[in-house]
Amino acid sequence: MEIALAGNPNVGKSVMFGKLTGIGVISANYPGTTVEFQKGEAKLGDMIIDVIDLPGTYSLSGNTDEERVTTDLLFSRTPDTVILVADASRLERSLVLLFELLESGYSVVVALNMYDLVKKTGLKIDVAGLEERLMTSAVPTVAVREDGIDALLREAVRLRPKSGFRVKYDSHTEEIISELVTMLDEPDWPFPLRAVAIRILMGDGRVRKQAGGRITERADALAEDFEGQHKESIQAHIQRDRFGEAGRIAEEVVSRIAPAEKRRSSLSDLTLRPSTGIPILLAVLAAVFLTLVFGGGMIEEVLVDSYESVARGAFDNLKDGESPAVQGVLDGVYLSIEAMLAIVVPYILVFYLMLSVLEDTGYLVRVVSLLDGIMHRIGLHGRAIIPMVVGYGCNVPAILATRAMGSKRERVILAVLITVAVPCSAQTAIIIGTVGNYAGAQWALLIFAIMMALLAILGFVLHRTMKLEPSQLMLEIPELRWPTLRQTIGKTGLRIGEFLTIAFPLLLAGSIILEILMAEGMLQKLVDPAEPFMTGVLGLPAITIVALVFGILRKEMALQMLMVLFGTSNLALAMTSHQMFVFALVMAIFMPCLAALAVLIKEFGVKGMIGITAASVLLAIAFGATANLILGL
Amino acid sequence: MVSEITEQYLKIIYNLTEDGGAAKTTDIANALGVTPASVTQMIQKLAKQGYVSHEPYHGSALRARGKRIAKKIARKHRLLERFLSDMVGIETEAGHDQACRMEHGLSTEAEEALCKMMNHPSTCPHGKRIPKCERAVSCEECANVALKLSEIEEGRTATVSHLVSMNKEELCRILAMGFVPGVRVAIEKRLPLGGPIIVNIKGTRIAIARAMGDVLRMVEDT
Repeated sequence: MEIALAGNPNVGKSVMFGKLTGIGVISANYPGTTVEFQKGEAKLGDMIIDVIDLPGTYSLSGNTDEERVTTDLLFSRTPDTVILVADASRLERSLVLLFELLESGYSVVVALNMYDLVKKTGLKIDVAGLEERLMTSAVPTVAVREDGIDALLREAVRLRPKSGFRVKYDSHTEEIISELVTMLDEPDWPFPLRAVAIRILMGDGRVRKQAGGRITERADALAEDFEGQHKESIQAHIQRDRFGEAGRIAEEVVSRIAPAEKRRSSLSDLTLRPSTGIPILLAVLAAVFLTLVFGGGMIEEVLVDSYESVARGAFDNLKDGESPAVQGVLDGVYLSIEAMLAIVVPYILVFYLMLSVLEDTGYLVRVVSLLDGIMHRIGLHGRAIIPMVVGYGCNVPAILATRAMGSKRERVILAVLITVAVPCSAQTAIIIGTVGNYAGAQWALLIFAIMMALLAILGFVLHRTMKLEPSQLMLEIPELRWPTLRQTIGKTGLRIGEFLTIAFPLLLAGSIILEILMAEGMLQKLVDPAEPFMTGVLGLPAITIVALVFGILRKEMALQMLMVLFGTSNLALAMTSHQMFVFALVMAIFMPCLAALAVLIKEFGVKGMIGITAASVLLAIAFGATANLILGL
Repeated sequence: MVSEITEQYLKIIYNLTEDGGAAKTTDIANALGVTPASVTQMIQKLAKQGYVSHEPYHGSALRARGKRIAKKIARKHRLLERFLSDMVGIETEAGHDQACRMEHGLSTEAEEALCKMMNHPSTCPHGKRIPKCERAVSCEECANVALKLSEIEEGRTATVSHLVSMNKEELCRILAMGFVPGVRVAIEKRLPLGGPIIVNIKGTRIAIARAMGDVLRMVEDT
């Protein structure tokens, strides 16, 4: 038995899935979190039911990525029951999707989710009346409180006759549908021919392909003729009739029993009004940034210090008398754990906690809307701001967060920008620790300014060369609401888990390999051949290449390595301000760290990772060499 | 003021003579469901009033005066049919019968609004041409009365009249969001630097990029 959850974005579908299956799904108070689908199992008595969570969509027309995933899954898996998760307080919208599901012949149960909101807003839904009109079952639920989940599940597994409800379109559209239906063969299709005809008209790519040229050509001719007569596309007519029908049903079953409460939207409005929204945004960004840099830094210090004081002795004991290779492995393990403590807990955990709160309150959607205009100039839309902000903390979650972007190409542009031009907190530490400390704050600021300029120029260039029109923003803005502690912790835990399983094994393997190379004295052999390049092109001491290599493992280790290599913590004795500037600039752009490489592979494949890495290495060298030339004048 | 029955007769004769020629008395009788004798009587009256010319054994034709009234009624009738069929979803024949009764009560103002709302349809559901209105402006100019979303000021409400998009995917995306013809949209906020416009459709707030919003053609509510 398989059940699929369908619904508009932002109706509590992922929460519902979590409650049905006990599997945590990352949900966010901004649309489009579930791009891939989730699968889990629900238990009802002795029965095990497979549950799949479809991406949030407004329609089944197959015109967006989410719609394609949804229609493909429905098509290929043909679930026994589809639960349509509806926002009961805005029934109309969900009904439109329901009509499409019914039209396609699925057995649908409606979950009237967020039912508490209906009462709160002074409305009442005639559930029996709704069931009667739709000829199917409807169950009021409040997923976050687990109300009605059992009833919903019981209803979903019950056998029931398929609903005979169909939206009736205007007569001309119906004529066209009937004509197309006569051209189709019943056995070819897993859903009613009427639905096939409508989907062909609505432009569903897969259905059109399967239907073949003869039928689609006829459909297009009829649609063109329709448009000629009505001065309006047949798609517009079909959708309009669906919304019309939804509005009619909603009007019939929803009644007001208490006067509408005044909308509590003053804060919500402030976040959207430019004159107040931008200062609020700046304050929020500053708070996030400062918390990460200072709060994270403090936590890191405490954790690393206590780790070193506890574990160093133990590891040193273990290393005692072992071969260099074994020592290398031990060092690798030691450093990997330290790296996790130094990055994951202070920066990533803290960041995810904040991100989760920003998401759940619905604030991020407002930021996205507010900045959409600016982001468009570098070929992205407002949604890109989230991963970018994340990137200033750590590139790893930032790359994961690019999933929220509309298209693959937008994701690639954004990932390049993040890995190349957004210095993470470790890179910031290097800039501050070298240039900031020894050459003066103005030089550190100059590096940040160069990075900003790089971000803008790179974005613009990528935008132009990839010839990508950023997909136009269109998203629902949910009401601001308080995040719940449980959800915040649950979500952060899931994300950290995701990060650990990707990053830690790689970090461990990478550290061990590097340490073995070091222990075998092979790393030193890299230094000599690198001299002409390091000194000739970048004007840096040859030995700094070791720091660059270590930077791959963990960015802030580059700084520590410099001190180890030069045998002093006063870098001014070993490097000139000029050299430090070049070094910091190169490090700021230089290739992503191992953990970031791992997520790049996960998200974009090996090819994508190599491309992005190559871009960052080349740009780092180009910028370093240019800075060296200019400063040498 | 022309009586309803006169309008009805003139419209029928217009229908029958649209492609040229004259309207036979029997055809008029059939269309109206009355006896040929009463048609003959009525035609004589209309001829006397200067609306039609009548030649025995040949048939009746509209004179300029009658044609003007007939055209207007036919226009109202066909617009109403279009409306009942497209916007209300009434079956064509039932729509025809109801349009026959409604056409006489429809004001010119309502007729113009109906035409605009349906984006100047050219034919009725039966495929007959809808006569143009008598106003001096062309249909194109009249259509331009519809504004793009970005042309409407903050705080106003407007109704989607139609959508203009060459890109079917974009069109479907925007339709699926609920921007369908006839829906009322409140413009809440326009974000700066070419940012999106925040609108409200029946309690759902949506941020929509300007370029996307300009697919919509709206008629501002007064």
